[in-house]
Amino acid sequence: MVSVVGAAITEFGRRIDGTSFRDWAAEAFESALSMSGLERADIDLLACSSESDFFTLQLNPASVIAGDLGLAGAATFRVEGGGASGQLAVHAAANAVKSGQARHAAVVGFDPSASQLPAATVKELYGYSFDAWTDGMTGASATALYALSARFFMQAHGLDEGHLAKVTIQNRANALGNPGAHLGRRHSEDEIFDSPVIAAPYRRLHCSPLSDGAAAIVLSANDFVPGSRRSAPRIRGIGAASDKPRLGARNSPGQFRAKSAAMRKACESAGLEPGDIGLAEVYDAYAGAQLQAIEALGLTDDISCDSLDGAFGPGGRLPVNLSGGLMGQGAPAGAIGVGQTAACALFLEGRHRSSLQPAMPPRFALADTHGGVCTTAAVTILERGSQ
Amino acid sequence: MIFELDLPLEYRLEAGWLARWAEALMQGTALARSCRQCGRASFVPERICDCGCSEGSWKPVPGKATVIRRTSGLDGNFGFVRFDGADTCAVVALEGFEAGDRRGELIAPAGSLPKLIIRPIHEEVPD
Repeated sequence: MVSVVGAAITEFGRRIDGTSFRDWAAEAFESALSMSGLERADIDLLACSSESDFFTLQLNPASVIAGDLGLAGAATFRVEGGGASGQLAVHAAANAVKSGQARHAAVVGFDPSASQLPAATVKELYGYSFDAWTDGMTGASATALYALSARFFMQAHGLDEGHLAKVTIQNRANALGNPGAHLGRRHSEDEIFDSPVIAAPYRRLHCSPLSDGAAAIVLSANDFVPGSRRSAPRIRGIGAASDKPRLGARNSPGQFRAKSAAMRKACESAGLEPGDIGLAEVYDAYAGAQLQAIEALGLTDDISCDSLDGAFGPGGRLPVNLSGGLMGQGAPAGAIGVGQTAACALFLEGRHRSSLQPAMPPRFALADTHGGVCTTAAVTILERGSQ
Repeated sequence: MIFELDLPLEYRLEAGWLARWAEALMQGTALARSCRQCGRASFVPERICDCGCSEGSWKPVPGKATVIRRTSGLDGNFGFVRFDGADTCAVVALEGFEAGDRRGELIAPAGSLPKLIIRPIHEEVPD
């Protein structure tokens, strides 16, 4: 077993306050380390996640971050898997701890997705992040590819603009309770329906923002968990899988099959069923992607009814994205998966700063991340620690 | 304090195993990859077929496609299409498509990139 003894998330947003990703990484790490009760010298492995050197300019960012964090001597590496980078870094570190390669590992995810390059440049780079040789050179944007996938899914499940609006409204409202969120907003349906169409069915208010920020967790092998952190949440199961990068090559372009496979593996390793999950942080790059994810993860039998009936709201059967998700809390690419895992750990411990922190946290939480149009999927199941 | 840095990048990407496909595309024609074992034709080509076979040959297909789904907006007009003679689908840019247009034909892209672009066909003569 591996315990999450420290977890922290910086403010996500467009940071134009004189700080850089190196400051955010340090802020997140120092806060997670402080929570863990460990010393800097105890950390023997650092896994960093950052989606793109284009964002940071820094090749081999793990070496620079390790230097900034005073971790010279620790094993360091950077994990990259598109939007799933952070969750894959969590997996790499958890596996290192589980195997005995490390006793205490830090995972630090970061990206200056909003402030270091013009938005148009970031959008163009993202366009090359699916299959640069085909979809990328054709000029298909990330939003267009997600939109085409959503078209299939929405038709198969009888979904319409109302379902998409519900996701935006809920996630942005959830973010209002999270003081570190990028876009806490109280949106109306009309406001969403009036926002410009980027790639139908997606309007601007169905899209997650580009954000800056960082998140960190500290993992300890169970035999080495500090005495003050015996009740820390544990990683109960992990799973990862992939699908073909081009939608056209998939048999079911509307289904997130890689996510289903990753979830099956995570549930198998945890000895659990999807129905055991009591809280989920789900990858909502777009409103429809959240619905596709919930369905693929096996968290619903009827995505249309459940999403309209409030099953995934703060007071629902399965609260989803209490943090605000990517749409509300924000989306600094390399920090997303680490932030989701940190959020789940904090919620399970009753320590999240969101006003939506459940008074009675559930036993199991799920962090779900993907890259591409769910080409690379990675999920982590966490369990509340014993009190 | 902000450091401003201009870093132009001039890529020279080799097409690699996609060269034959890309060369055809630049001329507005379509080459599918046909699996030697099961005969499945992929366009956009797949190096390994779903049946597991890695051997294939290039097969000309008509370059005409049926639009299955489409999206349009500020990011442009794109379609999820199936090319005649292909067993897989592709995402293409739709040029000059009106709401009711369902069939299109590959055109040679302007510039140096192998873009997948189709224009609508309004009257078809059977092949």
